[in-house]
Amino acid sequence: MTANTSAVSVHGLTKRYGDRTVVDGFDLELPQGVVAGFVGPNGAGKTTTMAMLLGLVRPSAGVGDVLGDDITRPAAYLPRVGAMIESPAFYPALSGRENLRMFATIGRHPAERIPALLDTVGLGDRGDDRYRTYSLGMKQRLGIAAALLGDPALLILDEPANGLDPQGVHEMRGLIGSLARRGRTVLVSSHDLSELEQICDWLVLIEAGRSVYQGPAADFIQSSGDGLGAVPEHGHDLDALVAVLVSDGHRVDVVDGRALVRDDDLAGRDLAASVNRAAHRAGIVLVELSPIRTSLEDRYLALVQGADHGGDQ
Amino acid sequence: MIRIVHAELQRLLRKRTIVIAAAASVAFAVVATLAVFAAAKESGPPAARGGATLADLAAAGGGTEAFAVGASFIGFLVFVTFIALIATEFSGGTFRALLLRDPHRLRLIVGKLVGALTVAAGALVVAELLSFALSLAIAPSKGIDTGAWFSIAGLGHAFGNLGTAFAGVVGWAVFGTTLAVIFRSAPIALAVGFAWAGPFENIIVDSWDTGYRVFPGQVLAAIIQGGTPEISLGRAVVTGVVYVGIAAAATTTLLTRRDVTS
Repeated sequence: MTANTSAVSVHGLTKRYGDRTVVDGFDLELPQGVVAGFVGPNGAGKTTTMAMLLGLVRPSAGVGDVLGDDITRPAAYLPRVGAMIESPAFYPALSGRENLRMFATIGRHPAERIPALLDTVGLGDRGDDRYRTYSLGMKQRLGIAAALLGDPALLILDEPANGLDPQGVHEMRGLIGSLARRGRTVLVSSHDLSELEQICDWLVLIEAGRSVYQGPAADFIQSSGDGLGAVPEHGHDLDALVAVLVSDGHRVDVVDGRALVRDDDLAGRDLAASVNRAAHRAGIVLVELSPIRTSLEDRYLALVQGADHGGDQ
Repeated sequence: MIRIVHAELQRLLRKRTIVIAAAASVAFAVVATLAVFAAAKESGPPAARGGATLADLAAAGGGTEAFAVGASFIGFLVFVTFIALIATEFSGGTFRALLLRDPHRLRLIVGKLVGALTVAAGALVVAELLSFALSLAIAPSKGIDTGAWFSIAGLGHAFGNLGTAFAGVVGWAVFGTTLAVIFRSAPIALAVGFAWAGPFENIIVDSWDTGYRVFPGQVLAAIIQGGTPEISLGRAVVTGVVYVGIAAAATTTLLTRRDVTS
């Protein structure tokens, strides 16, 4: 798949409930074949946006298409979309397998895929147990299996790792990765930013119903630049260290007793050498000088809080 | 539509559901038949509203008379069953999940309704057959000649009783579905439906006879009984069709216009 065509392309998507605007002129261009993390605080409009893409919620305004079909005609594209939104919902008295069979019948999906799908999500040996006996993690897994019934070109998942144990999260990551390798487009929302950072190559950030950032995940994370953390031998030297680093033209923040140093022109060994020389010049001995990598969480928090905190928190 | 009906039947026609439906049919047939035969008098008016005399039971429709009398109590059961079935689809999120497979909301709800009504129809047929068999067994002890039961007229009565019972069941099912769609919560929909079809209508008709001809629950009960002294079958059917049409229109409007958020 290439990024020349969009799996999802919507403009001005808006949802109002009375006076309250939940999604406010949201634009989304999702290239085909990407794994896109959909990130935003609680109430930012993630689920409502997903529900509009899936035809569950009628937009108050906005135009666009999903997999080439108009967003106002979800029947045209939903057969090629797999989705799990809000929480998995199945019939408690039916087994996992029976639930999938029923969903397959309604969606005209081949029931022959069900055993393989149950194996894929790790429910192969629990498929005949009643859904009501499943743990939250198992329900999530069955929800993923249901979303994959139609071998979809686009997968929309709302908090798919919710309730999964570490092993389950690891498997979910692998599953999403394998889908991406097969050219599927995935839009996945999650509050676990470190998890998203590992699986997503595209980011969509939403806040108060508006798009804050869309683009390659690496570009977003690296946009603040990585830096160095410098710790003086004596705590009382920290202010002097910051002063000398600032006078040398570095950008410096102080977090947890360390100076976080960034420079637009220097990085890596060059930046380390510059910091070391400045400290030596001020008669300060450094006991730690280590690279600080900006995480998605750092960048996200900096963005939504309106101030860039720089490096590690 | 057919695949939705098929899927609903996949869900409903499981061992547990079949056993429950069969047990209910047997219980209904036994209780209705024993009660009607036990209460039947030699002549004069029936022992109770909707009951039968020995003359009624000896007539062509006598074999399914007990089913016809007992069927008038089925409506309310169907009503609350459909409220619970459909409202739980909304509150449990399964309606939302199914819409992701087939976004045609009306088709989905109609398919589910038809699937459940198919099961209800099967249960009615079983109940009528059982009631007929029990009546056949009890009739000699009451000195009732069953010869007329096997006539063409008897067969017509059997189909007629089944038809009116099923027509009433369809009406109650649509009313139940409408309440479920309006409230999307089983407890609230059940409370409202129970209050309306139970105490409200029945208390009012005790002092206002016209209520038998205008209240939806009374009209459907009259259809199931094949007409009552207060309202003929024909008028009850026409009135019932109007009510069902209004309920269906309300359901359609709500389903197609409202967001699915749960």
